[in-house]
Amino acid sequence: MSADEFDPDIERLFSRAPQLPDAALFTAQVEQRLRKGSRVRFLALGLAGLVGGVVAVRETLTVNIAAGDRVVGGDALAQGLRGASLSTQGAVQSGLDQLGLANLELGSMGGMQLFWIAAGALIAVAAAGVMKLSQDV
Amino acid sequence: MTQSLVDRHDVELAALTAAGGRREFGELVRRHGSAVRGLLRRMGAQPSLADDIAQDAFLQAFERCSEFRGDGTFAAWVKRIAARLYIKRIAREARYVAEVGTEDVAPATDHAGRVDLDEALKALSEVERLCVSLCHGAGMAHPEIAAALNLPLGTVKSHVKRGLDKLRARLQPRPMGSTQHVG
Repeated sequence: MSADEFDPDIERLFSRAPQLPDAALFTAQVEQRLRKGSRVRFLALGLAGLVGGVVAVRETLTVNIAAGDRVVGGDALAQGLRGASLSTQGAVQSGLDQLGLANLELGSMGGMQLFWIAAGALIAVAAAGVMKLSQDV
Repeated sequence: MTQSLVDRHDVELAALTAAGGRREFGELVRRHGSAVRGLLRRMGAQPSLADDIAQDAFLQAFERCSEFRGDGTFAAWVKRIAARLYIKRIAREARYVAEVGTEDVAPATDHAGRVDLDEALKALSEVERLCVSLCHGAGMAHPEIAAALNLPLGTVKSHVKRGLDKLRARLQPRPMGSTQHVG
């Protein structure tokens, strides 16, 4: 502020905060909004992570099975891997069923579709992670 | 032995807030909430709107607390955030560009015939009140106010000068028994 703008008396009057009777309520409201915001962020991050993780696991398993069929079909190790993959796939699908997503047929989607879904989910998780990190640093 | 929040300096509390401390931020809100709300009311915001904007300003301050370097006071920093949020709000409503006439009503006085600032501000037009509050309450320079309000610098200077003249006139102690309504 330049010298011609400065008026010490007015300045002093403005610096005095008014006594507001509901000051405690105001503080409580701000704290409540902070808690709420934090909960929403936590839930959004968790959900994005869960969706991204499920899709990524599913996609990885599908790709592994296909590769196993082409390259090392008939091999005992490949059979073992395929068995493990299928059981994990079953676990993921049963998890989806429990979440009420039984109709979500990931297997029926095309490879590109799943790829883009997984990529989108991962980007969302990465963006959320960067946002969180930027607040923490 | 841990230092209680009440004993800590604002800068220290802000640093702890930046590290994720919500209790520390709560203490800052407790200390400066009324000042920020008061400034917004002095700028012309209705109490409920002032409180909403003050809350938004504090939430923004919480998110950006790591940006606070302690060059000025924490209260001044949050006041500027709040002032800018209020300007954005009224700019959306295109309110401040319209000169609102004020009734020439003598403000209420205390027993000594003194007028308090909040009463005296009622004598100013909306835009004068805004410019004076931004200048003296939020600590913004004239060019900053001109840019924020999208008004010519000369216009802002005139508003501040006229507003201050009115304030000084109103803040003069009045003899007891003078009429409440002028003109």
